[in-house]
This record gives sequence, C-alpha cells and structure tokens, in this order.
Amino acid sequence: MPDPSGAAVFTTMLPAAMLVVAAGVVALLGWFRPGLPPSFHRWLGSIALVGAGIAALITFHALGNTGGVGLVAYAGAVIADRFDAYAVLLLCGAGLVATLTSGAAAARLGPRMPAFQALVLTATAGGVVIAAQWEMGMLVTGLGLLVISLIGMVALEKTAEPPGEAAFRALVTAGVAMALLLYGLAIIYGATGTTNLAATRGQFVHGAALEGLGLALTLVGLAFLVGAPPLHHWLLQVAAASSGAVAGAVISLAVASGGIALVRVMISGFSPGMRPWVVLAAVLGAVACLYPAIVSLAAGSVRRLIALGVCLQGGLLLTALIANGVGRDYLSAQGAVALLFALLVFVLAIQASFQAAARLDADGIGSGISDIRGLGRRSPMTAGLLCLGLVGLAGLPPFAGFLARILIAETAMAVGYSWLAAASVVASAIYVVPVLRCLAAVLVEDDDLPALVSTSPWLPGLVGAACAVFGIAAFALAGPLIFAAHGAASALR
Amino acid sequence: MSFLAQTSSAASTSGASFPTIIYTCLVWSALLFAAVVLVMPDQTHEQRSRIKSLGISGAGAALFFAIWAVESQIADVALGTGGLPGGDLVERHLWIASFQFESTYHLDADGLSLSLVMLFGVVFFCAALAAWKNDRHVKMLAVNLLILETAAMGVVVSYDWILFLLFWTLPIAPIYLLVRAFGHGQGDRAAGRYAVGMLASGALLTLAAILITFQGGLHSLDMGAVPVTLPGKGGGVAFWLITVAALLAMAIVPLHGALLDLEEDSTGVLSAIFVAVLPSLGAFALLHVAVGFFPTAAGSYSLFFAAVAVVTVVWAGLAALRTDDLRRLIGHVGTVLMGVALLGVAGHSTIAVTGVMYLLIARGLVVSLLMLLVSAIQESTRRVRISQLGGLAWQAPYLSALWLLASLSVAGIPFLAGFTGDYLIFTGSFPAHRWATAIVLGGTLLTAGVLLWTAQRIFFGSSQDSFARVRDVGPLDLTYLGVLIAVILLVGILPGHFAGLFQNGAGYILFPGTV
Repeated sequence: MPDPSGAAVFTTMLPAAMLVVAAGVVALLGWFRPGLPPSFHRWLGSIALVGAGIAALITFHALGNTGGVGLVAYAGAVIADRFDAYAVLLLCGAGLVATLTSGAAAARLGPRMPAFQALVLTATAGGVVIAAQWEMGMLVTGLGLLVISLIGMVALEKTAEPPGEAAFRALVTAGVAMALLLYGLAIIYGATGTTNLAATRGQFVHGAALEGLGLALTLVGLAFLVGAPPLHHWLLQVAAASSGAVAGAVISLAVASGGIALVRVMISGFSPGMRPWVVLAAVLGAVACLYPAIVSLAAGSVRRLIALGVCLQGGLLLTALIANGVGRDYLSAQGAVALLFALLVFVLAIQASFQAAARLDADGIGSGISDIRGLGRRSPMTAGLLCLGLVGLAGLPPFAGFLARILIAETAMAVGYSWLAAASVVASAIYVVPVLRCLAAVLVEDDDLPALVSTSPWLPGLVGAACAVFGIAAFALAGPLIFAAHGAASALR
Repeated sequence: MSFLAQTSSAASTSGASFPTIIYTCLVWSALLFAAVVLVMPDQTHEQRSRIKSLGISGAGAALFFAIWAVESQIADVALGTGGLPGGDLVERHLWIASFQFESTYHLDADGLSLSLVMLFGVVFFCAALAAWKNDRHVKMLAVNLLILETAAMGVVVSYDWILFLLFWTLPIAPIYLLVRAFGHGQGDRAAGRYAVGMLASGALLTLAAILITFQGGLHSLDMGAVPVTLPGKGGGVAFWLITVAALLAMAIVPLHGALLDLEEDSTGVLSAIFVAVLPSLGAFALLHVAVGFFPTAAGSYSLFFAAVAVVTVVWAGLAALRTDDLRRLIGHVGTVLMGVALLGVAGHSTIAVTGVMYLLIARGLVVSLLMLLVSAIQESTRRVRISQLGGLAWQAPYLSALWLLASLSVAGIPFLAGFTGDYLIFTGSFPAHRWATAIVLGGTLLTAGVLLWTAQRIFFGSSQDSFARVRDVGPLDLTYLGVLIAVILLVGILPGHFAGLFQNGAGYILFPGTV
C-alpha cells in the first residue's frame, strides 16, 4: 500500500475523526463528571457536528476544480469528493437535529443522556465513514459502527420494556442484514478478486449468476437501513416502542446513512449497468412503495403511520437508485441527483413527524388515532407540528417531498421503468388517504377533553418545526439544492 | 390601452426593468392572507370577526388582481396579444436547471385562463362574504377557502408542469378537511370519495407530465411548448391519461357521483365553491392540456366527447327531473352544463371553444348563485326537500326573483350570461355533431324547464302557515347575490367586451404554434 498523502488523509478522515473524538470526550465527561447538566453534553455534541459539517462544506468548495475525482487516501479505501461532502453535510444535519431534540427524551434516558449523545456522534461518524469509503472493509467498518450505535441508542431507554425488545429485534435484523451483506461482498470479492469498489465495476462479467447473487445479497443487506422490505420490521418496532425523540434520531440517521450507502456502493461501486441488482432493486422498490402504502390504510396509530411512511420513502429511494443513468453517461446521473435531493427532504420530514410524536409523549397523549381526536383545540402547537410532519411525510404540496416524488418518477420513466414510476406515484397517492384521516382527527373531530398545557421542552418542538418549515422552503429553494445534489452525484464513478 | 394596461406593460414600453408581478399577486395574495389568519386567535366574537374580515380581504385582493389581469389583456386585444400567452404580463424565471429537464416559475394566461380567473375571483369573493354568517370553525374555513383560491388561480395560470401539479393537488387536503368539518349526513364518506378521485386525477396528470417530457424529447417542463409529438403510442397514452384526469374533475357522467355527494353534504358556501370551481378546473385541464397538447388527437376523438356529452346531459337532466333534494338538483344542473361544455370541446372549432369559455363563466356564476339561494332557503325554512316547500314567494319575493333569473340564464335567455355560451357552442358544434347538438340542446331546455318547474313548486302556490315566519334574503345576502347577478348581467349584456380575448384563446388552444 503506498503512503497516503497527508492532505488527502486529513481531508478524508477529518469529519469522522472530529466526531469520534467528540464522542469520546462526551462519554468520558459523562462517566467522570456525572453532575454536569445534560445541556452541556448536548451543546458539546452540537459543536462537534457543526464543526464536521463546516469541514465538509470547505471540502465541497475546495473540490470544485478536481473534476469530481476528489482526494484519495489509503490506496483508494477512502475518498473525499463532492459526494462525500454532501453526504457528510446531510448526516451532520441529521445528527445535529437528533442532538438538539434529545431533551424530549430526557425523562426516559435519565443519567444515560451523555451516552446517548456519544452514540449519536458515533452513529453519525459511521455514516460519514460509509460516505467516504471506497473499499469493502471500510464499508463494513462504517456500517458496524453505525448499526451498533443505533441499536445502543434504542437500548438506552431501558426504563421501559418495549424499547429493549425493539433494540433486540433491531439487533437481530441488523445481524441478518450484515450477514447478507458480508456474504454478498464475499461472493463479489471471489468473483472479481478485489475488495476495492473502484475496481469492482470493471471486473464484473455481465450475466454471471454468482455475481448476480452477490449483488442481490449486498442490495438487500443495505436496503434494511432505509426500511425497505423484507428487513423493515425493525423500523416499525423502533417507531412503536421508543420515545419520539429517540425514534426520530435513530430512524433519520439510519435512512440518511442507508441512502448514502446505497448510492456509494451500488452506483459508485457496482455501476448501474449491472442488470441483476437493477432489476432486483426495481422489484424491491415497487414492493417497498406499495406494501407500506397499502398497509398504512389500516394503521391505527400515528407512530405506525409515520413508520410506514418512512418505509414508503425507502421504496422511493430504491426507485431513484435504479434510475441512475442506466445506459447513459455516468455524468448524467439524474437518478442519484433525485435520490440525494429526496434524501434531504425525507430526513427533514422524518424528523418533523417524530418530533410531533415526541410532543405527544411529553403531553401524555397516546399515539392512537382515537387519542389525537380534537388535538387541534387541546394543544394547537402539537397539532400543528403533527399535521406539518404528516403532510411532509406524505409529500403533499407545498412540501418538497412532492417535488422529490416527481423527480424520482421522472428518472424511473426516463430509463424505461414506466411501471415502477407508476407504482411510486400510485403508492404516494394511497398513503395520502390515511394521512388525511389523521389530519381530520386532529383538526376536525373533537372529544370535548380539556385543553392541555404542554410540558414538552421548547427546543425539540422548535427544531421539529424548523425541519417542517425547511421542508416547505426546500420546494422554493429546489434550484440550488438540486444544483448541490448534482455536484455530489457527478462525483460518482 | 387602459391605465391598468399601461401600468402593467411599463416594463416593455419604457425599457425599465421593473418586473411584472400581476399573476404572482393573483395567485399568492390569497395565501398571504391565509398565513396571517393562521396565526390569529379565534377565541372571542371580535377575533372571529377579524378573521372573517381578513378572509374577505384576501378574496377581495385576488379579485382585484383578477380584474386587473383581465382588463389589461382585453386592452391588449387591439394589439393582437390579448388572450394569448407571452403577453406583457408573463412571468418566467428559471427555477431548476441542474436536472435532466429545466423547470421555470412560469405564470401566464390565455383567454381560457382569464375567463376562469374572473370566475374564480368573483365566486370566492362572494363565498367569503356569504361565510360571514358562519360562526363555527371560523379560522379553518377562512384559511382553507383562501388556500383553495390560491390553488384554483394557480392551476389556470401555471405554465410549468411542476407548478401545475402543485396547484392541482394543493386543494385535496383543504377540501377534505372542510367537508369533514362542515359536512352533514354522509359528509365523511363524500369527502373520502372525492379525495380519492382528486388523488387519482393528480396521479394520472403526473404520469402524463412525465410521459410528455421524456417521450417528447423535451428538456423542459414548460407547458408553453405545445403541441408535442410523442413517438409510438406515447401520444395516445398521454392524451387519455390527461383526458380521464380531467373528466374525473369535471364530474362528467359516470364520474359525477363523488362531487354530487360532496355538494349535497356540505354547507351552502362550500357547495357553491365546489360546484362552480372544481369542475371548471377539470374543463381547463381538458381544453388547455389535453386539447392544447394534442389537438389532432382531440379532433380524432371528438365523437367520443360528443357521446359523453350526450350521455351526461340526458342522464343528469333526467336525474334533475326525478330528484327531490334541492342541493342535488343544482348539482345535476351543474353536470348538465358541464356536458354542454364538453359538446363544445367535441365541436373542435374556434366558435365552439369560444363558447365554452363563455359557458364556463356563466355556469360557475349561475350554479353558485343557485347553491347560495338553496342555502338561504334551507336557512329560512330548515328544509331542503322540494316536496316539503311551497308558496315561499309571498314571504321571500327577492329570493324567488333571483331564482327565476338564474333559471332563465340556464335556459340561455338573451341578455343573461348563459346565452352567449350556449349559442356559440351549439352553432360551433352543429356542423360536426348534428344529432348530439340537437339532443344536448333538448337536454338543456329540459333542465331549464326543471328549474322553472321547481320554482313553481317551491315559490308559488298557496302560502303555507308553516312558512309564515320565513324571512327574505337580508342586506348581506343581497350584497353577494347582487355581485353574482351583476356579473351575470354584465357578461350577458356585454359579451363583446370579452370576445377578442376568448377568440384568441380558442385559436391558441386549437391551433397552437400558428396563432
């Protein structure tokens, strides 16, 4: 292995290093100085995340003249390119929201709050490693760091039994997914003779069954992060069992990292010209769109509705994935552009809706549809946030999710997958129906219960509302955001 | 050129770079007021009154800009640009450039758009006035009505697919919530059915937009680049996707059930808006998008449109004859008139399409007037069944007179709004579809007869003791009903004022690229 250049190593590893070091500091301070207020750890984590984001922003600008090649270190195992910078910004944003809103779970986390903050940082660092990797070993390292951190975040709420069970189920699912991924990568290594994802795409033999199996296993292994079937139950379980703040943090970080991993591995590593995984992704995408949409018609609780909305979004991400310039020049990577733009607005919608769930927790309101009747009168702020979150999740106008859905369907049809485009549009339309029912329950129906005085801390609600507002603003700002996504996608090779 | 037109075209004549923002104001002014209303308290009577005032102001602002836009374009007819897109009011700014297609913030209007802009401005303003009497869910009503107005205005002036789809799907949630909040009887079911229908039409239009963009080889979502030619069966598929979506929204037989239920189970104000606005949006999509993008296909399938028009008019006319429910009756009348408009589309001639624009205005005004009158009758008598009413003319002479005026407009009596539209549609369609025109004409007369017969049953005959305390329409009612009547008379007496605008618009739709 040639000696890595100092600048390249520094640039590629800086955000992840900052996050891991900060996580260590937060954890140690929590261990040795238990008397420190929870807000101290929160702000320390926030500073680290902002710092990592700024580092990524500088990288994004500094790489303008590299033609998308970026800086490569450790014999191509890691790379700092525009995609990496975009991904780090997105992950740090998701991590920052998770950190700032963690106060809503303070009662259930108790003295374990510093550990939670540290795990948010390590989970973000895991996602950052996945974004920067170009090699199977680094991929597994990043994925392991991410998954263990996420499971730990769920398990920390051990004052109640359901989160523990959810964490265990997530652990089992993650274990299965990791196993599938490792089998897939092993088969691909056997077939191509390299673990470097930059080299694999040139080594594939088109139509080979073994390689097809490897690609399929890898895809299914990665798709569990975005909540796509068949490994989506962990997401439903976490959404139902964890507090709103924790579920929002875990799921938004998982989806953001999952989307990034899918792009980096499947597009950058395996090329969209490989038919086996593209066809499988199309089928998975259609199932992941339609199944949660249809199941959501019978959803009896807000949390389940939100979780199914996230699964639907996972399906949409897979739909965008297959549309990444099949049969075209990679620079016209429009599917990846749509995916990256969608990923941003989806994460915002997830956070906004789970912050609403967190406010329901804090106000002592159940998450059943019958529990939220008349919420518009009883607790206008919570009701407003819930409505914004659900409408954003459903991708109704004026939220940018609406535009993201159109872009994804456009890209699917552009590469000849008209049926998949139709499935994604139909699924999105179906999901609107239960959301409308929920809105009516909140705003129209009433059960004459007295008005509530919310005891929820102000910061999580404010951050959740900011996510919702940015989800709307992203529609108007679609031009620059898509330009940024285009810059990131054009770095994929 | 009028003062308004001079002001709006200052950019082009003086060389100044001040941007024209009439259409932006037209679309977004109502939403701006909705945002203000949203943050206002609504606990006391005074606070609710303030919200209602803001609702009226929002609708009034949109009406002001609608009149400005229409009069400015009418003034431009003499210059040859009025009623055609690309005039001095056009707004076009690049929005999304880094994708495989470009998207622009493109607002513009042709004659058809302007006819509907005028209609929506008047109807929403009158509805906002009529909503003054409501004291339930005041904030929700004001906010959602203003969002609905934004959506309706946005649909007809959008010249970019993303904007068009945004505004097309924007009303789904407000309509659902309004009907759930104010509906009675089977309101919940009606709201759900209609929402599903709107979602389906939105999905079909989305797929059509994607198909047109890619199969047409376009790298832009701009809707001004018409007509398009798609290879293979793409053109036919896109045409039918748009047509079905439009017919769903137009509530043409057999797709009319959901809208009828919606109108029957809502309050008067909401029913007036639903019956006037929603089918008009469908007619706009059919003419502006389906016919505008695929004029040849529309001409080829004109027999289909004529057949559907016949079925619609006959079915709805007979249903109007049978029904005993006043709201449902007005719903059927609206469906009949929409069938007449469809015959105009089938006529596929400049005369017929010009007639459609007149008819859409007349239809919207008349059916919303009738629906508000039904609301007034129901409010006074607590009854909505025709068989339970009678002799109201003695207690409510204004109500009776207004009803008769509206009925005569449906019949197409000269000097009322309905005349010009009916005349032009029947004249323009007769050469192509003689039998269909004759049957639709008969159906229209039957419907007018039903309305007059209904007037005879509910207003005339001996006075009933149970209605001794029934009061006639009050000053507030007369204000908004008077506005509707004034516009019906204006369009009826001065149809020539709009003629150039509508003719140019019809030419643009039928012969895009040549006008």
